[in-house]
Amino acid sequence: MQPRAFVSLMNRAMQNTFAYRTSYIITLLTYFISILSLYALWTAIFDGRDQVAGMSWNQMKSYLLITFMTNSLLSWYSETRIATKILDGSVAVDLLKPLDFQKARLAETLGSCAVEGGLGLLFIAVISAFASDIITPHSPFAWLLFALGLAGSLAVKFGIVYLAGLLCFWSTGSHGIIWSRIAITNLLSGGLIPLAFFPDWLAQWASVLPFQGIVHTPATLFLDQVGTSEAIKLIAVQWGWAIALWWAGKGLWQWAVRKITIHGG
Amino acid sequence: MRRSLYLYYRLISQQLRAILEYQTDFVILMGSAVLTQLLGIVFLRVIFQRIPDINGWGFWEVAFMYAMIYVTEGIGSLLFEGTWRLGGLINRGELDKLLLRPVSPILQVLSSAVGVNGIGNIVTGSIIIWQALAHMDVSWTWDKIGITVIVLLSAVVIRIAINLASNCVNFWLHGTGNAFPQMVLNVGDFAKYPITIYPSFVRVLVAGFVPFAFISYYPAAAITGANDLAWVWALCPVVAVISACAAIGIFRIGLRSYESAGN
Repeated sequence: MQPRAFVSLMNRAMQNTFAYRTSYIITLLTYFISILSLYALWTAIFDGRDQVAGMSWNQMKSYLLITFMTNSLLSWYSETRIATKILDGSVAVDLLKPLDFQKARLAETLGSCAVEGGLGLLFIAVISAFASDIITPHSPFAWLLFALGLAGSLAVKFGIVYLAGLLCFWSTGSHGIIWSRIAITNLLSGGLIPLAFFPDWLAQWASVLPFQGIVHTPATLFLDQVGTSEAIKLIAVQWGWAIALWWAGKGLWQWAVRKITIHGG
Repeated sequence: MRRSLYLYYRLISQQLRAILEYQTDFVILMGSAVLTQLLGIVFLRVIFQRIPDINGWGFWEVAFMYAMIYVTEGIGSLLFEGTWRLGGLINRGELDKLLLRPVSPILQVLSSAVGVNGIGNIVTGSIIIWQALAHMDVSWTWDKIGITVIVLLSAVVIRIAINLASNCVNFWLHGTGNAFPQMVLNVGDFAKYPITIYPSFVRVLVAGFVPFAFISYYPAAAITGANDLAWVWALCPVVAVISACAAIGIFRIGLRSYESAGN
């Protein structure tokens, strides 16, 4: 696809996000509520304990911040956009356009991300200003690794969201699919609880699935919990998944588009 | 009253019949509700494997609060999903149709949709509540059983009232979709855990303004008698009646500022 088309799609999605800013801000407040309740829960859990599952309270606070950040990067709106296109039949118009469907959706997602992520960052800056002793990466190189991990987190999440969206070709509603995706992602990515807390059998499942790339990988990098070689390995696994999911999305699209039915006209 | 109940039954069974046409969706929605709740319980289990209690509350007490939020949400979806359609009805001006019929508009709104995911929530949540009640440290007497029934019923009424009241925001705020009621729904996330873990402003919010605490925490406290709160069972039905009256009141006030839409 031409870079110009890509940029213009991004731009349009950005404007769209601005147009629906009230609902995005309310969505952000919603994330904030869930993160606040998790924060209180962890405060109670760490009450009277120095460490739980090898994590200190300061590390846990930073962890929650990263969770909030990765959640705010790709919102409910970006997620339902793909499903809605398929369910209301407007995907037919996309089929007529000389654009790759997957790349076009990626462009839109990145466009809304620029706005949503910006607002999310602002939120985080405000929180960090009030909260003391948040642990941050200790060197510019660690920051760089974290930035790579965060970009990878977005790539993996897009891959999963795109696949879930395409499943709507086989159903007549999107809510069930999206709810299931959110529930699975939240638990297995480490979005609810760090993977270090998991019992062995669950930790093993999480380590062979792509979801860990969304929260666990960027959080580990942010907290400097591993050495450089281990960190690079984590990023390689994450990006490996991102590429695999991209190709899986391509394959599923090609298969799904053959059985498309559009009603009315 | 009997006529209302009969009409409600007829309307809701029509909705149910309509939704059963789409079997794949039916299965996916129910499955997603079950999955969400079970993974939530896995989350609690993982935490309680590391620590024995949270502010004195054990695994089963917290599981009870957790499941109460889901069961009441499920009943709200299955039987009163219509509250969530109120925004759409107002924005498209379809409330006109309802107002012309000689039946209470609230009744028609409540029965205007069915959310089958509610079945998944009700079944899974009930099993967890059942298990929790069996494992909690409670000596079961007839009094206790009576109290349990009262607090559970009150919780359902409170939940429906919150849903109806928060969706009424669409009478005044147009075009925000379901974002606001969705946010109120998420305030319920606070009540999945014992409210004693929160700073005081959150406690005031969920005990006073949006009474989610009366769906989960206070019923748990009333049944176990923890924190000397055994007496609180008597407060639950009072809160339920107040919430219901408030929700109906807000709906009526909102209806007065309804102007229809379009041409």
